[in-house]
Amino acid sequence: MSPTMRRYIRYALVLLLSVSFILFAQEIKLLKNPDSTPITSMTFIGLGILWLFSFLGVIIADLMKMVPIKVIRDFPILGWVSITSLTLCLISDFFVEAIQSVDFLAITTPILTVAGISVANRLVDLRKTSWKIAIVAVFVFAGTYICSALLAQMGLLFAGH
Amino acid sequence: MVKNFIYFLLFVLAVIATAELIGIQSFTIGSMTISMLPLVFAIAIAMLLGLPYLRKGILKKIYSKKNVEFASKYLIFIMLPLMARYGSDVAPQIKEILQVGWVFIIQEIGNLGTVLIGLPIAILIGLRREAIGATLGIGREGELAYISEKYTLESPEGRGVISLYVIGTLFGTMFFSIFAPVLLDFGIRVEALAMASGVGSGSMMSAASATLVARVPEMESTILAYASASQLLTSFIGTFTMVFLAAPLQQFMYKFFVRGDKK
Repeated sequence: MSPTMRRYIRYALVLLLSVSFILFAQEIKLLKNPDSTPITSMTFIGLGILWLFSFLGVIIADLMKMVPIKVIRDFPILGWVSITSLTLCLISDFFVEAIQSVDFLAITTPILTVAGISVANRLVDLRKTSWKIAIVAVFVFAGTYICSALLAQMGLLFAGH
Repeated sequence: MVKNFIYFLLFVLAVIATAELIGIQSFTIGSMTISMLPLVFAIAIAMLLGLPYLRKGILKKIYSKKNVEFASKYLIFIMLPLMARYGSDVAPQIKEILQVGWVFIIQEIGNLGTVLIGLPIAILIGLRREAIGATLGIGREGELAYISEKYTLESPEGRGVISLYVIGTLFGTMFFSIFAPVLLDFGIRVEALAMASGVGSGSMMSAASATLVARVPEMESTILAYASASQLLTSFIGTFTMVFLAAPLQQFMYKFFVRGDKK
């Protein structure tokens, strides 16, 4: 088996793991709150489609690495997956319907769990950063959010939306 | 090795279950409502149990070098289904989004808020060249690459951006998850907040928009569509905003403040 093939198989398995986590999260969410998004056969199809679109996005991102335009080469894989999915969802409403039967918040919980584990070894780096930067960080994050929100608010007002 | 990985999988399931069973917790401080989603509990639990001095016995096996490496290497792939989900949120609303497309572009300029608000504060509390790295943007890969190319990461500017990167990685999602809906209580429309959520980091955008959905569930489809459309736009033009707007503005403001400082 070629290394590329092996790499793709690994990606496929990790993606499978990801959608399995989502299913598990949605199941537990249902236990906690029976009114949340139900698990139906559409949920399984939706998860399958999420898996497929993610995988297609990975392949497209790899192919785009060969394009001689820097912006396109540097475009993140996350963006390619969104664009792939958006394009296919515009083509068929069936994809939209299936994906929407996967609970949104159930998708976010597993990601943040893995994110928490992934940063475990960086907690020590915190000691190297000064408290001053921590204060600045609050204003930096709040600053971009507030400025964007105010501009959007004004824009929507002008648009008469 | 394989055994450790099984512990890792079981641990992830246990954290997910715990976070989901805690569910959404809301409380009010004065007139502000603060909502905490399962995703906040998930990252908090996973981070806390990974503290070096807790890593004994089973936790040592779960947070083995291999497992933590696996988590950071493949985190981006674990995130992909979420990004695929956003396609289905944007598609049904693509007409409305294109209609107010220029508003999306205008609010991108709001990303200069990191410089406009962050830089004066940074200089006020005594930071100098570190402030350049720490306020150019929200300190994700784009800024990291730009600063390292221009100043190297060993420079004060480099230390600034790395520190912001670390803080953002650890606390960014929690911050946005809690902060985003607070602005609802200040009278800003949820559509505007959804658009603003596309800050340039997929997980921060998800955290911000998810809490907005929890607060205004009837707007779920609009919130997710606007947030992800804005995020997509940021990934396309974010680099340009940084290089052609944020960086020059920052140089101008930096010289202005630091000169005023010496008098």
